Amino acid sequence: MHDARHPWRVTEGQMLRRCEWDDEVVLFNDLSGATHLLSPTACWLLDRLAVNPDDVPGLATALEAELAAQAASDHAGNADGADSANIDHALLAELLADLHSLDLVAPC
Amino acid sequence: MLTVSSLTPTQLRARLRGPGLDFQTGPFINRLHSNIPHLADGLAVLYGEYPLHESGGFANFHLDLSQPGGLRRWWRPQVRFDQDGQHPFKPLPVAQAQPFCEWMMNWCVSNRAHGYLIVHAAVIEKNGRAIILPAPPGSGKSTLCAALVCRGWRLLSDELALVRHADGMLVPLPRPVSLKNRSIDVIRAFSPDAVFGAIVHGTMKGTVGLMRAPADSIRRAAQVATSHAIVFPQWEADAPAMLEPLSRGQMFMRVADNSFNYTLIGAQGFETLAALAQRSAGYTFRYSKLEQAMEVFDALVGNPP
Repeated sequence: MHDARHPWRVTEGQMLRRCEWDDEVVLFNDLSGATHLLSPTACWLLDRLAVNPDDVPGLATALEAELAAQAASDHAGNADGADSANIDHALLAELLADLHSLDLVAPC
Repeated sequence: MLTVSSLTPTQLRARLRGPGLDFQTGPFINRLHSNIPHLADGLAVLYGEYPLHESGGFANFHLDLSQPGGLRRWWRPQVRFDQDGQHPFKPLPVAQAQPFCEWMMNWCVSNRAHGYLIVHAAVIEKNGRAIILPAPPGSGKSTLCAALVCRGWRLLSDELALVRHADGMLVPLPRPVSLKNRSIDVIRAFSPDAVFGAIVHGTMKGTVGLMRAPADSIRRAAQVATSHAIVFPQWEADAPAMLEPLSRGQMFMRVADNSFNYTLIGAQGFETLAALAQRSAGYTFRYSKLEQAMEVFDALVGNPP
């Protein structure tokens, strides 16, 4: 089991191409030659880790901030409408493990 | 352009035994050698309308389906496939030469024609809108394809969808529709005018009947088509015809799963399939009755533009 405090990064040397339709992202990894169907959250993690390797707590904080910003944007002019999100660290760790099994991310 | 039907039976056999029969299917020129008389007869029935080329020019695929000499000629006679001097498959009983020829032509395309994204799918077109039917064996794909073609849809392919990398257009490869087992009688009942080659029993796919492609589809083989929808058919006993939307992401993955060379061609395959998915609506389709299926597909492409 990966320690939640250990940071993750994207796998080095891969170039990712993607298509986004509604709530699905199709991703092509030219390093492995594999194609994956991912959720927007998984893709957000990959984008985040590409520029900033981080651990689960750090990623959860960043994701909460991202969701809060999106909610505020969606409810522009109605500050009370923005909901705060509590990210389940266990689910986030599971998602990272899934991405690891696909060779998209690796522990630092 | 001369067609294969311009050759007399004697001339056809002479070409097959001699310099080879050069005939065009879609974008490909095939050079076929054979010493099997009934294969020549079958070609005359199924490939009479295809463009005939002079022997000795360029050919994409060089095929030799011949009966070996010696004792094998008389004792359980077989047909052997030779492609550019290689023998990638075991010989089959000589009675299976015609379906074997079809399988080998498919094999040549799916193993060599990487200038296209190749999907295991039927493709038919009406009113300028093409529909791709990817599906594994047993799904009812060819039966549905044959029925649509018998009702006036243009046949682009029964087996191999060719997607052009440059623009995502569908390149026709109209060849006989391969029907198996009960589907042969189903289509004969559905369309008594359908023309079949000899029915061959006991193949690795059971009984096989090849339905001749419509002459109009062969004449229009140079006219590429735009994908309108990608439909994953599944025949199911007593099921009412039902078309259900499929997300583009799911559709992408399922088409990739049904492709012969998506993985092989890497990023180019991804880009080509992404463009195809962008312009195509995705559906799953369950059916049991062909008449109901015809109505659903006619509604899917709508009226002529």
